Amino acid sequence: MRTFCRIAVIAILIGSVSGCAGQPVASPSLYQRLGGETGVHDIVTNFLINVADDPRIVGYFAHTNIDYLAGSLEQYICDISDGPCTYQGPSMARAHQHMGLTDASFNALVDDLQNAMMMQNIDIGARNALLGRLAPKYSDVMRDQ
Amino acid sequence: MRAKPSLMLLIGICGLLMGNPVLAGSRLLGTGGVMQIEGASGGGLSPWGVLAGTASDNEVGVTLGATRADVDDYHLVVSGVAANLYDRVELSYAHQRLALDTLGGHQAQDIYGAKLRLFGDVLYRPWGVWSLGIQHKQQVEGQALARVVGARDTQGNDIYLAGSKLFFDALAGRNLLVNTTLRSTRANQGGLLGFGGDEGDHRELMIETSVGLFLNSDWVVGVEYRQKPDNLGFAGEDDWRDLYVAWLINRHVSLTGALLDLGSIAGLEQQRGGYLSLQLSL
Repeated sequence: MRTFCRIAVIAILIGSVSGCAGQPVASPSLYQRLGGETGVHDIVTNFLINVADDPRIVGYFAHTNIDYLAGSLEQYICDISDGPCTYQGPSMARAHQHMGLTDASFNALVDDLQNAMMMQNIDIGARNALLGRLAPKYSDVMRDQ
Repeated sequence: MRAKPSLMLLIGICGLLMGNPVLAGSRLLGTGGVMQIEGASGGGLSPWGVLAGTASDNEVGVTLGATRADVDDYHLVVSGVAANLYDRVELSYAHQRLALDTLGGHQAQDIYGAKLRLFGDVLYRPWGVWSLGIQHKQQVEGQALARVVGARDTQGNDIYLAGSKLFFDALAGRNLLVNTTLRSTRANQGGLLGFGGDEGDHRELMIETSVGLFLNSDWVVGVEYRQKPDNLGFAGEDDWRDLYVAWLINRHVSLTGALLDLGSIAGLEQQRGGYLSLQLSL
């Protein structure tokens, strides 16, 4: 029995080692974890619905072309989450300049995005990873207010 | 003043749990920490770089807290109130009353605090948020005992610099909050045994640090450590540490529990026990 166990353990070890060496498993990109094209599209849609219902910030979007914004946001999120896109819109500083944004409005926006992802049951790791990539953009967004 | 915050807390919590619409700050859940035992926003033991509640740059907020800590030979009751003005200044008041269950008697102090956010943001800035704070502590009960055991003064000022930073997706996809505080102090057992002593009467720089892992957006677990001076010859003073879990029920109500290890206090060794703190933010 003992010998059997030993052989079994060795066999498992060899199996797992060769498994690691033989086929490197590519971990999915953040874009894939967010649900790919459909996932990002849904995140942006839900996010904009949340924003439209959010009296704290809806005013900022009064003169915004929402379809253009949605497309632009999808491309942006796709780009920063290592998806197959290149964001071609204006820089974050330029896109937000002179909007009169406050920290409160920035926080409200993050809150709405977070809720959109939670509505879709995006897993917590992917949610936090996306927020982590967006958080440093604060400096650019708030540069010319 | 002592009973008032507790009563307001109860009334407020009943209202908030029923879902009455009350204005909340816009900062995200958890970014104000909880009320630490000296009334400032932080963990349980240490002030953090963040300011109380969720008020942002054009908002104000008020936070009330009630805390009880029970260790082998003592228990501490704290009630406090803190105001956050535009996420720039925090003003706080706390009343601490320590019951000497084994030795008999009480030690109590009032703590008036102010914290100024110097720069940064806990979520969005690479260096996090940094604040400078002061806590003016005045013993209101047990001054005689403090004198007897060798304390030089029954009031004192702690000055601290605190920084907090949240790292997204840091551990198993979870966000990790890291805090460091440098405190200049002469306080014995936080001030409850007076300030300065026969074995040291100068300010010393103490380090306090904590980490907290957000299991999800409303549960945080972590550990804290607070270094302390050792000024009194009659008994050694140890550093404090704890293991905590905070439940951020919503933007208005949070509940924090902790396992405490406060070391030796006034000659009684190995003071361990539990900590429970209820907080209400408006």
